[in-house]
Amino acid sequence: MKQFGKILKFELKYFFKNKVFVGVTVFLVLLIAAVMFFPRIATLFRSDDTADVTDDLPVMLVKAHDPSQNEMVRQTFAAAFTDHDVQMTNEELTVIQDAITAGEAECAFVMTSSTAYTYYVENLSMYDMNAETASTVLQQLYQMNAMIHGGMSAEQAADVMNIQITSDVQSLGKNQMENFFYTYIMIFALYMVILLYGQMVATNVATEKSSRAMEVLITSADPTSMMFGKVIASCLAGFIQLVTVFGSALIFYHLNRSYWGDNIIIDSIFNIPPTLLLYMLVFFLLGFLIYAFMFGAVGSTASKLEDINTSVMPITMLFIIAFVVVMTSMSSGNVDNTLMTVCSYIPFTSPMSMFTRIAMSTVPWYEIAISIAVLIASTVGIGVLSAKIYRVGVLMYGTPPKITTILKTVWKA
Amino acid sequence: MILELKNIEKSFGEKKVLTGVSFKAESGKAFGLLGRNGAGKTTAIRILMNVFPANSGDVLVDGQPIDYNKVGFGYLPEERGLYPKKLIIDQLTYFAELKGMSRKSAVKSVDYWLGRLGMTEYRNKRLDTLSKGNQQKIQLITALAHDPNVVILDEPFSGLDPVNAMLLKDVVKEQIAKGKIVLFSSHQMSYIEEFCDSIAILNNGVVALHGDLHDIKRDYPRDRLVVRTETPDAIAADFGDACTVTEGGDLIIRLSDPSQKKAVMARLVETYDIDEIKVYEPSLNDIFVEYASNATKED
Repeated sequence: MKQFGKILKFELKYFFKNKVFVGVTVFLVLLIAAVMFFPRIATLFRSDDTADVTDDLPVMLVKAHDPSQNEMVRQTFAAAFTDHDVQMTNEELTVIQDAITAGEAECAFVMTSSTAYTYYVENLSMYDMNAETASTVLQQLYQMNAMIHGGMSAEQAADVMNIQITSDVQSLGKNQMENFFYTYIMIFALYMVILLYGQMVATNVATEKSSRAMEVLITSADPTSMMFGKVIASCLAGFIQLVTVFGSALIFYHLNRSYWGDNIIIDSIFNIPPTLLLYMLVFFLLGFLIYAFMFGAVGSTASKLEDINTSVMPITMLFIIAFVVVMTSMSSGNVDNTLMTVCSYIPFTSPMSMFTRIAMSTVPWYEIAISIAVLIASTVGIGVLSAKIYRVGVLMYGTPPKITTILKTVWKA
Repeated sequence: MILELKNIEKSFGEKKVLTGVSFKAESGKAFGLLGRNGAGKTTAIRILMNVFPANSGDVLVDGQPIDYNKVGFGYLPEERGLYPKKLIIDQLTYFAELKGMSRKSAVKSVDYWLGRLGMTEYRNKRLDTLSKGNQQKIQLITALAHDPNVVILDEPFSGLDPVNAMLLKDVVKEQIAKGKIVLFSSHQMSYIEEFCDSIAILNNGVVALHGDLHDIKRDYPRDRLVVRTETPDAIAADFGDACTVTEGGDLIIRLSDPSQKKAVMARLVETYDIDEIKVYEPSLNDIFVEYASNATKED
């Protein structure tokens, strides 16, 4: 235990003296500061040029089927396309096309009847929804005309068409629109930290082995203390880095709160429920440890640093698969699908999937309890197994042994 | 204190590395553990230091099973290396602390040893800025700083220049004088011969020879004569196959009957012009080659 403390201290010191570690942390804090202070800085540069915005809007040409309806068509189009400067035209088709290719207009609608049109645009973007909107506009125009012909006044027809529906959505469980962003950020942070620090543990162990410092270390300290000291030191370092980055983000946010107005994303990110932060802490620690133990064990079986990349591949793959499953389920909106439910009990995937389910859906307490219990038990199990592999692995030189060979040796030892 | 390995057996998987290995080392004396590459020296040392357990057999101190909390080991491994990117003072105190020293006494002891080995100027440098020989001196400190009862030095002289080798010799003699057990493992027989009172030769995981170096030499069959002469050809012709010539030009005459030693010597002196004649004393090198080379036949 005494040795564990010394190893932990030595390894932690290594992180805080490491220029890359300190540099990355400072860089992230500065980056976040830049983002969080941006609205405040932006207001300094934004003077009174808010007028005449319409001048800059892209021009949309509309050629009505019946020129007598020009005004009505213009009004409806202008109402539907607020991000365009809608201009009516009676020019020939070629003139309109030339205007678009010359860049004078961005796009044009040429109506061939009251229910048909051709949409002209130079480059059709993947996200161009103008045609759909125009169809709806024309439908409305047609319906209004029909109502007016049927004897309604223009105002009555307009009222019918523009009837407003009032609604109120109340989510009794979780609101995915709000929690999506912070869950996303937290999962991503979890992913980055575990992968980066896990690799670091593996490299760290392999470096000790390849530099032969292990020859002295192994006679000076108990391998279990060495393994745990190293893993827990990097866990602490990762945690401190996360807290520094997110903590500074929180401080910067509070400094600039008024400038952010009611930005939903930013608001939701900085209003994470405290219980969720607690879950984040639990899943971060356990998830980190279980992976770091594996990375450490694998690192101990490599005798050269070059071997590390191939050796850690299975673990990295496992972790990436877990990440992809979670990310896909998050974007599909259904985080309680069968795959996610299964994943939230498997120790290697549960840190991310169970956390996502807790954050974005309503999970019964006993499911969370089972998931955490399984994860704790597996972390301890993997920790003990890793320490045993480490004990055997650190003295093996040459080509990295097969996993079955290692397990056999561990079993016999 | 007597440190003893008794009937140690060790195998890795199917491969048997040590078979019934026993040897003793005493306080205030240096012990040489010899053997060819792959004979099982490092395995024996690791078992001695409790890096891994033996399949069977005991490590005893004064006849009692060893208590690793009481007996301190210092180890200079054959495969050298510490943390290349870390400061020398940091890593040396770390290793001393791992061996149970307090931070304060660790720093004090490390500073003493840096001074003793003339390395003080490198105290706050990174290890990889040092030359190989200096790195080795730094590593020697990890074996000595915590004042262990048993100092194990694996090939301590390899890579050292004559001045540093002298320095190391002094340090080793000092350790022996302080009543420590110094265990040498080396292929440089001259050093072993210089320091070690007793030796063990490991051959294919078996102790081929063990005991006091003087006794071993004395018990060596005294059936050969070394002759220096101006007329080697005549003597060689006289003794035929029993006579061989060394690289130095001396003649070695193997006696078919050792009891005739005096008579043969008298006859040689009378008959030929002899500069020097003596009974052949084997060097450690000869003994090593004889006991360790059997391995090749078995391999």
